[in-house]
Amino acid sequence: MLDWAIDIAFYTGSACFVAAGLMALRHLRGNCGDTLKPAARVLLAGAALLLVTLVFRGVKWGMMPLTTTVDALSLFGLLTAVIMVYVVRKENAPAMLCFYAPPLAAACLINAAVAHDALHTSPRELQGLPLTLHVGTVFLAYALFFLASMTSAAYLFQAHRLKHRKTTGLFQRLPSLEQLDRTLWRLVRYGYPLFVATLALGFVWAWFDDQLLEARWWLAPKVIMSCAMVVFYGALFHLRRHGGLRGPKLSYLMLVGFVALLLAYFALDLLHLRDYNFWEGGA
Amino acid sequence: MNLVVTGLSHHTCPVEVREKLGFTTQAVPRALLRLGSQFDGGGAVILSTCNRVELYLHHPGEPRELGRQMCAFLSEWHNVPEAEFADHLYEYHGREAVGHLFRVASSLDSLVVGEAQILGQVHDAFIAAQAAQTTDKVLNALFQQAFSLAKRLRTNTDIGAGQVSISSVAVVLAASIFMDLSDKTVMIVGSGDVAELTLKSLVGRGVKDVLIANRHPERAEALAEAFQGRPVPFESLRDHLYRADILIGATAAPRFVLHPEDFQHAMPRRDHAPMFVIDIAVPRDVDPATSALDNVYVYDIDDLEKVVNQNMEARRREMERCLAAVEQEADKFVRWMSGLAAEPTIVSMSEELNAIRERELKKTLAALGDLTPKQRQEVEYLAQRIVNAILQRPMTHIKHEIGHHDPNTVIHLVKRLFGIEESG
Repeated sequence: MLDWAIDIAFYTGSACFVAAGLMALRHLRGNCGDTLKPAARVLLAGAALLLVTLVFRGVKWGMMPLTTTVDALSLFGLLTAVIMVYVVRKENAPAMLCFYAPPLAAACLINAAVAHDALHTSPRELQGLPLTLHVGTVFLAYALFFLASMTSAAYLFQAHRLKHRKTTGLFQRLPSLEQLDRTLWRLVRYGYPLFVATLALGFVWAWFDDQLLEARWWLAPKVIMSCAMVVFYGALFHLRRHGGLRGPKLSYLMLVGFVALLLAYFALDLLHLRDYNFWEGGA
Repeated sequence: MNLVVTGLSHHTCPVEVREKLGFTTQAVPRALLRLGSQFDGGGAVILSTCNRVELYLHHPGEPRELGRQMCAFLSEWHNVPEAEFADHLYEYHGREAVGHLFRVASSLDSLVVGEAQILGQVHDAFIAAQAAQTTDKVLNALFQQAFSLAKRLRTNTDIGAGQVSISSVAVVLAASIFMDLSDKTVMIVGSGDVAELTLKSLVGRGVKDVLIANRHPERAEALAEAFQGRPVPFESLRDHLYRADILIGATAAPRFVLHPEDFQHAMPRRDHAPMFVIDIAVPRDVDPATSALDNVYVYDIDDLEKVVNQNMEARRREMERCLAAVEQEADKFVRWMSGLAAEPTIVSMSEELNAIRERELKKTLAALGDLTPKQRQEVEYLAQRIVNAILQRPMTHIKHEIGHHDPNTVIHLVKRLFGIEESG
């Protein structure tokens, strides 16, 4: 019975994300009435259903389900959707959904396509609240980085259209460059410290608990990549604040950085290098 | 009852003719009263703008005759011989008249397609007619429908999107770069009509800080006074460039006044915050190579005109969708109007059947003799229920059929079927 409920909640939730993405794409084709307001509602419905999926899986296995890719992407999807709708409403910029919703829909579609077996397998147990918090909040930081990157894409689109004198269509419905820059900056300003704090929490915990990870966990590709990300975003953070890095260059770096991070994660996943025992010869 | 509109617009006649036949706001109520008394038993609305003069009439008279009388009314009221404007007049009846008003209110018939002003003007015309009590049920519904359609099209299509004048395009572009213009600084270099109009529009949108650089100090002082701005010595223009968020170039200089190097020096001083350059001068004031710099957006007069043309083109592309919606709504309205034509027939039909009911009831009650009040009531209810059941279907279908077929044929058939030829 619970398996059925998990399936229904997960696939309906994923379908909601895909529908919202399609509605946002429909808006790109021209002003076809108000498709964005319903898209935001559908996104929230999808987020609620993914939350239900996680709760049901938690009830079924008696632990917080955060370690499988399906669970991780579901958590990422629901956090992103909620923050997305909040940002769009706060900034009064519904057209931003055209940049936010379709890539999220694509991620959810891929997740749904490969989820069937993983949905009914047990997640690995996270030992203790700090680790659960660490894993949970890291996805919150990823959601903020994802939205910052999509805001960068919107900025680049607007700046390009403005430079090339193409000022009709979606250009007219998107917010000003200044507003996009402010939104981008805010997302990074919340995302970066959260990411650093989350990582620090994981480091401290792994350092003091010898049994938790392998001996040289701090040399694992995943850890090195996370540190590289901290340095990269830290550099952007600093340059934005003190070096006057703003506008298209900042947006471009933000977008490229996130895409590189995403590709690196996929590469690690494909090469089975996501564990912490890389130097012990395991995979 | 027939719906007729007659009038002239920028499509059919020059301003010399239109200005002779225009109604001032003060004259409209008197003209409406005259129209109302001349066309008693109907409704009238006068729409008079700088681009059109139109009379809308709903009246039992024959449409062509009504059109002729409306032409005569215009001639008499304005004391202009009919011969001077009759060739420019257009006249629409019934469905065409409905479609015409929908197009006018939705700004599809305007000189600048998609402009917002016409909806307010049509609304004012309708309010004036309501105040003069010259509207009837059909005109009320027609204008309400026109307002609702126009608003829907503005919201759901791009018919009103984008600006179509140089100064307003410049302001909208500024707003697409800056979130809030009230904390931005505008620097105007030189002067000129379009530049000042643009500056005026920017000030109207909230800009408070205006810097004026002009070779002629007295001209700079005059502009500073007009816009509560501060003059900046023209010679030190480059030193003040970093302060400008929006720069309007409008000098008569034969060569470029500002070069990419000037902006390269200014940008770090303003923390690379975006700068919008509106170069209205011919020859241009700002070297176009400046456009390659990050965070500097340079638009010269040709670029602004290009944006105007793009916006006009975008509006024209939306026309097709809007016209399809207008046709659909016009059909719907005409069906509703035809349904109204059936109302007297439906009333007659109902009266005829109720007369039969009462006649037959009287006979039946007499034949039945002594009945208790309850029995008598039941018989009366029975008769009423039978009549209601008989009436229900024809009442629904007559309205429907009348919207899809010739109303006179349908009404004639119904009258014959129910024997109400004489009474109807």
